[in-house]
Amino acid sequence: MKKHRGELEIDEDIQLESNSWKIQRVAWVIMALVIIAALLGFTGDGGIGNLQSLKAGDSSELLEVEYERFLRRSAPAEIKVKLAPSTSNSLTDLHLSKDFYEKFQIDKVVPEPSEVYTHEQGITYSFTTANQPFSVTFYLTPKGMGSLPLHFSTDKKKVAITQFIYP
Amino acid sequence: METVIRGLVLYVFLMIIFRISGKRTLYEATVFDFVLLLIIAETAEQALVGEDHSMMNSFVLIITLLLADISLSLLKQKYNYFGKVLDGVPVILLDDGKVLHEQLKKVRVDEADIMESARALRGLERLDQIKYAILEKDGKITIIPKDQEQKEIEKV
Repeated sequence: MKKHRGELEIDEDIQLESNSWKIQRVAWVIMALVIIAALLGFTGDGGIGNLQSLKAGDSSELLEVEYERFLRRSAPAEIKVKLAPSTSNSLTDLHLSKDFYEKFQIDKVVPEPSEVYTHEQGITYSFTTANQPFSVTFYLTPKGMGSLPLHFSTDKKKVAITQFIYP
Repeated sequence: METVIRGLVLYVFLMIIFRISGKRTLYEATVFDFVLLLIIAETAEQALVGEDHSMMNSFVLIITLLLADISLSLLKQKYNYFGKVLDGVPVILLDDGKVLHEQLKKVRVDEADIMESARALRGLERLDQIKYAILEKDGKITIIPKDQEQKEIEKV
């Protein structure tokens, strides 16, 4: 053990300590940046100005998806889809890619679809309509983690979105 | 498997976050620090356990945390420098009666804190009775009084 002034036995390492002070200062800045990112919504759960709440597709072409860019695992999430009624069929179909039901626990779909079935490409919801544009809200709980590309399609149009699920 | 990962991730995260917060953070148990500690514990508990409230989960979790702790202490013992980086080293705050203001500022301690320890540990009344004040790695301040003071105390 080193001796300080020839009497005090102490394991002082001022070099290491002053390095760690520098690292601490940098870390505090990083902590502040994390909070700013959280306030801006980059860690999920909304944020100032709803910057991470995105829309894909086009409401004039009548398939529009409203979603949050960042989600958190096990935290409730929502996806809202605006649809035009099918002209050829009494039921309007909405097709979703396979990841949708594999990475999400689907808690509730409003309105209730008349038919739901899965197939090789994914899952299809069929809705009865009043022959005017309508919207469908999916209440979800993310189960997976990481980047999640999703495809929404009707008979005419296709929209792709990518969400990110934090652990 | 998830329990083990959760446990280890949180262990490492807490270790890093408390290391970079500095020694004195949460050491002094003022009322507010106590409340803060409780809130942090509660928040961490949710991330640790998640929705799985089974006994097996808590067994695995406890074993994971303890094993992480044991392995870390073994590592610290084997590699001295690793331990120093992880726990920090003691810092001399008051050197042979001279207050090192630069050090005080860096570790966020003031003379009142030193006097508090001096009173509590040694029953000293004035700053000039102290020879050395050291901020230990656990955040405690230890005091070594000047020799003459020690003799006076012994006389009484």
